[in-house]
Amino acid sequence: MSETEPVTVQIRTWWQRVEIKRIVWTWLGLTVLLTIFALTVPTRLMGPPASPTMRAVESTMTVFSVAASAVMALVLAIAVYSLIGWRSRGSEPPIGDGPPIRGNGRVTVAWIAVSTGLTMFALIWGLGEMQSLSADASTPNAMVVNVTGQQWVWTFSYPQNGNVESEQLYLPVNRPVVFHVTSKDVIHSFWVVQMGIKIDANPGEVTKTGVVPDRLGTFDVRCAELCGLLHAHMETQAHVVSSSNFAAWITAQERRAS
Amino acid sequence: MPTIGVYLRASGVVAAGVLVVVLAGTALARAGTTPGLLSATIKGTAQTPVGVLPHAFMELATYPDSLAGEHGPGGGSQPDWVSYGPTTNLSVPAHALVTITIKQYDSGGTITNPYFATVHGTVDGTETVNGKTVTDVNSDAVGHTFTVHALPTNQDPLFVSVPLPALPDNAKPAPGSNYPNPNVVTFSFVTAGPGNYVWNCEYPCGDGYVDFGGAMSTRGYMSGTLTVA
Amino acid sequence: MSTLNTEPLLGIPAAGGGLMRRLNVVTAAGGGLVLALVGWAIARHFMLADDFGPDQVTVITMVCWAVGFMAGIGAFNGPIGWLRGRDLTSEDELFLAGKDQGIRRYFRFTTDHKVVGIQYLVLTMVLFGVGGAMAMLIRTNLISPNSNFLSPQQYNAIVGLHGLIMVIATIIMVTGPFGNFIMPLMIGARDMAFPRLNALSLWMIVAAVPILLSATFLGGIPTGWSGYAPLADQAPPGMDAFLMTIIIFAISSAVAGANITTTVLTMRARGMTWNRTPIFIYGVVASVGLAIPAFPMFMASQVLLGLDRTMGARFYIASGGGSPWLYANLFWLMGHPEVYVILIPAIAALMELTAVFSRKPLFSFNTAVLGIVGISVLSVMVWAHHMYVSGWAPNLNGAFMLTTEMISIPTGMLFLVILGTIWRGRIWTRLPMMSTYAMLWNFIIGGITGLYLSDVPVDYALHGSMFVTAHFHYTLMGAGLTGAIGALAYWFPKMTGRMLDERFGFISFWLVQIGFNVTFMGMFAVGLAGQPRRVYTYDNLLATGNFVSTMGAYAIGIGMLFLLYAVFSSWRHGELAPSNPWGSKTLEWTVPNPVPLENFEVLPVVTSDAYGYGEEPFEPFEGPPRPDKLEPAHVGSSADEDSTEGARP
Repeated sequence: MSETEPVTVQIRTWWQRVEIKRIVWTWLGLTVLLTIFALTVPTRLMGPPASPTMRAVESTMTVFSVAASAVMALVLAIAVYSLIGWRSRGSEPPIGDGPPIRGNGRVTVAWIAVSTGLTMFALIWGLGEMQSLSADASTPNAMVVNVTGQQWVWTFSYPQNGNVESEQLYLPVNRPVVFHVTSKDVIHSFWVVQMGIKIDANPGEVTKTGVVPDRLGTFDVRCAELCGLLHAHMETQAHVVSSSNFAAWITAQERRAS
Repeated sequence: MPTIGVYLRASGVVAAGVLVVVLAGTALARAGTTPGLLSATIKGTAQTPVGVLPHAFMELATYPDSLAGEHGPGGGSQPDWVSYGPTTNLSVPAHALVTITIKQYDSGGTITNPYFATVHGTVDGTETVNGKTVTDVNSDAVGHTFTVHALPTNQDPLFVSVPLPALPDNAKPAPGSNYPNPNVVTFSFVTAGPGNYVWNCEYPCGDGYVDFGGAMSTRGYMSGTLTVA
Repeated sequence: MSTLNTEPLLGIPAAGGGLMRRLNVVTAAGGGLVLALVGWAIARHFMLADDFGPDQVTVITMVCWAVGFMAGIGAFNGPIGWLRGRDLTSEDELFLAGKDQGIRRYFRFTTDHKVVGIQYLVLTMVLFGVGGAMAMLIRTNLISPNSNFLSPQQYNAIVGLHGLIMVIATIIMVTGPFGNFIMPLMIGARDMAFPRLNALSLWMIVAAVPILLSATFLGGIPTGWSGYAPLADQAPPGMDAFLMTIIIFAISSAVAGANITTTVLTMRARGMTWNRTPIFIYGVVASVGLAIPAFPMFMASQVLLGLDRTMGARFYIASGGGSPWLYANLFWLMGHPEVYVILIPAIAALMELTAVFSRKPLFSFNTAVLGIVGISVLSVMVWAHHMYVSGWAPNLNGAFMLTTEMISIPTGMLFLVILGTIWRGRIWTRLPMMSTYAMLWNFIIGGITGLYLSDVPVDYALHGSMFVTAHFHYTLMGAGLTGAIGALAYWFPKMTGRMLDERFGFISFWLVQIGFNVTFMGMFAVGLAGQPRRVYTYDNLLATGNFVSTMGAYAIGIGMLFLLYAVFSSWRHGELAPSNPWGSKTLEWTVPNPVPLENFEVLPVVTSDAYGYGEEPFEPFEGPPRPDKLEPAHVGSSADEDSTEGARP
C-alpha cells in the first residue's frame, strides 16, 4: 500500500482486493448469525428473572454476547477464508513461501485499540451494574433473614418476625430483603437461582447479600460450593408470596412453635 | 491403501480402552454396595389430615458402634463409628402414613443448630419419646437426628426431622445386651408421590472437624437413602 | 565422539559406579515399598489414638514411600557422593546420560534431556489415560438424574482425583515432553543446564502418582481438586494423599522451572539474541516463570492443611482463630497463574508451528512476546476473581474485575499474531496445523465466556455452576490440550524418528473436537439453567443437556483412544521421517534422526531468526514420505508384494 496516496484511494484499493471483500462479507454474515444467537439463547436458558438483579445479569449476558459476536465473527471469518482462499492443496508440501509479512503497524495498533476499547466498555458496564445493585441491597428498611447452611440442609430464621424458623424460604414480593448468611461447619454457598444472588456461607463469619424479589412464584435455593457427601441434595425452595400471605405464614409458624 | 488389518488393530485398541473403563466402572459400582433394603410393612389404614391412607411401619435403631448395623457383627472397616441399623437403605410406600420407631442406644451432647432439636414435618409436629408426646428435646442432650430431605425439583417435597434424645454418658448396659436401655422415639409422617430422598443425622457424632466427618459423612452409617415407591 | 575416559576428573576419586548401574524403576518401587512399610509400622506403634492418628500414620507412610522411591531410583547418589568427596567420572556421566543402553535408559534416572522428554511424554499419556477414564465415569454417572451408578462419596472422590490428575497432566504436557526434548535443540545446546535435576523433576512426579491414586483406598477426597478447607480438615485420610501429592509436585515444578530458566538464559547458541529466539522458548520460560512464584503458594496451603490434619493446628478453622479465607487466598494465588502455566506453552507451540505451516514469518514477533509477558504479569493480579462470592473482600471485587478484564488485551494480541501469520500464507493443512484452527474456535469461546464470569454481577449468578466447568474446559482442554496434541503431531518426527499416522490422527482430531464441543456446549446450557458444579445428581429439567454432554464425552474418549493407537503404532512401525519433514527453519530440525547423544557435532552459530520465510530463497523440501510409496517396505503388513512403486528414499 503506497503511503503517498490519499487515504480514500488507499481504502478503495484495499477494498478491491478479492480476499478483503470476501472476508468482510463473511464477517458480516457471521456477526448477524451470532448476534441472533446472542439475543435469544442465553436469556432463554437462564429463564424468566425473579428480581431486578437477575434482570441485570441477563441483560449483561446479552450485551456482552452481542459485542463478542463481532469479535468471534472476525476470527472465524479470517480462519475460514484462509482454509478456502490460501490453502496449499493436497498433502504435498507447498511449492513456495508466503509473502514475508513481518508485521503491520496500523493493524496492530488498531487491533489493540479496539480490544482495549471493548475491555473498557465491559468494565464500565460492569462497574455501573455493581453500583446500582449495591444501592438496591443497602436499603435501610430491608427485611432481614438469617440463613444458616450446614451439612446438608439450609435453615432460615426471621429475626424481625418473631424469630420464626423454617427450612423453606418465604419472602414477600417487592420488599427488599437482606440475607445474613453463615455456616455451622464447612463453606457452603447460598444461591437463589432465579434471583441471581449468591454469597458463600462461611463458618465463623456472617456474609451479606440483598435482593428485591419482584415476581410471585416458587424458586430454587441451591448450594453452590461443594460441601461433602450430600452437596447435590442441599436444596430447598424460595416462595415469593403477597405481603398478606407472608404475614399469614409468619403467624402460622409462630403458632406452631409455641 | 491401508489394509483392513490397520482398521482392525485401531478398533481393537479402542475396544480395549472402552473395556478397561467399563471394567473399572463396574468394579466401582459394585464396591459401593448398596446395603440391603428395608421396606416398611403396611398394616391396615389410618386417618390422616389428608384422608384415609395405608399405614406403614418401620423400626430402626441408632447404636454407639457399627456392630449391629449393616456392616455385619464385626462392624466392617470402622467398628467404632456410630451407625444406624439394621440398614440405611429404606423404602416406604407413597401416599401413605408412615410410622417409624427408632431405638436410640447412644449418648450425645449439645447440638450445633437448635433448629434440629425440634420436631419438623411429622403429622402433628410431635414425636413420642418413651411414651411421652413432645415437640422438641433438650438441645443439650441430643443423641442423633433423623432428617429427611432431597432435591425438591424432581419429586414432591418431603422434609422430616426428628431429634433423638441422648442416653446419659454413664448409662450401663441392660442385662443380656451390649447396650443400655434405649430411648424409644416414634413419629409419623405422610408421604406424597414417589421419589428418591436422602436422610442424614444432623447431630455431630462423627470425627474430624466439627465432628461431621467419619460416620457423619459416609453413607451406611449416619446417612442413607429413603425411596418412596 | 568423545572416547571413554575413566580418568578421575580434576583429581577427585571416582564414585563407585556399580550401585548406580543397577538402579531403575523397579528398585525404586521396591525401595519405596520397603521404606513405606517400615515407616508405617513404626508410625502405628507410636500413633496417638486420637483424631489425628490415622492422618499422622498416612503422611509418614507416604513420605517414606517418596524418599524410598527416590533413593531406589538413584536420585541421592550424586549428593551422597559429594558428601564423601567424590564425583562422577566422565564414563559415569555418559552412563547416566544413557549412552549405549538401548531401551533400558528410559527406565532409569537418565540425565539426557531427550530421554527425560520421552519419559515425560509417556507419563503425560498415562495421566491423561487415568484422568480421562475418570471423566468417562463421571459423565456416565450424570447420564440421567439419579442414575445410581456411583455413590455420592465415590462420585466426589472421582471428581476430585480427575481434577488433580488433569491439572498435573496439563501443566506438564508441553513443558515436559517438548520443553525437555525440543527446547535445548531449538536453542542450539547440548543438554539442559542441570541434567540431574531434570531427571529428578520427572521421577518425583512418578513417585507422586501412586500416592495420589492411593486416595481411592483411603476414603477418597470430598472436596474436588481445589481442596477447600475446612471441608478438607474434615476429610478422610485420602486427603493426606492429596496434599502429599501436591507437595511433591510443587517441589518437582520448582526444580524443573529453575532448570528450564537457567538453560534458556545461559545456554542459547552464539548469535541467538532475544530477537532471534523462537517464540516457543518465550512460552516455555513464561510458563515456568509463573510457576516459580505460584506453586510454592499451593505447597504452603497444603503444608498448613497437613498441620491442621495431623497436629491439630487451626490455620483454616475459624473457631480456633484461623480462617477458611486463608486457604482460598493461598490456593487461588496459585490457581490463577496456574491456568496460564498450562495455556501459554500450548499457544506458543501453536504459534511456532503456524509460521511453518503458513510458510510465513510469525506476524509481529514483538506483539507475541508482549502478549505472553502481559498475560504473565497480569495473571498474578487477578486471583480473587475466584472469590467474588466468598465474602472475603467485597470492596475489592471491582479492582479484580478490572485486572481480569484487562487480560483480554494481551490475549487478544496472541490471536492477532496467529491470524496475522495465517494471513495470505500458503496454508498446509497437515495434522499439526489443524490444531491451530481448533484452538482458534475453542479459545475464542473460552475467552468470551471468561469475560462473562469476570463481570461481578454475572458471576454472582454463574459461580459454582456448570457454566464455570465448561469455561475452563474450553480454555484448558480446547486450547491447551489441543495445542499440546498439535505440538505432538509437529515434533513427533523429531522425537521418534517416525511420522505420526495422519489417517488416525485426523479420525481422532474430528471425534475429539466435535465430541468436545458437544459435551461442553451442553454444559454451558445446563449451567445457565442452574445446575451447580460437582453434583452427582440434578434437577430433571436438566436431563437432556446432561445426556447430550455424556454422549459428547464418549466421543472424546473414543477419539483419544484412536490417538493412542496412532501414537503406539506410529512409534513402533510408522514411516521413517526425514530430518526436516515440515521444512521448518528452527534449529531442532537441523539435527539428524535419531538425534545423536550430544545433539550437535558442532554447536551452531545463529545469524538470523527462524522466521525467514519469503525472505530467504525458497528451498523445496521433500516433506514426509507418502504412505503408498512406503507400502513395500512395511514388514509384516499384507501390502502389495509386487508393487514396484519407488524405493525407500
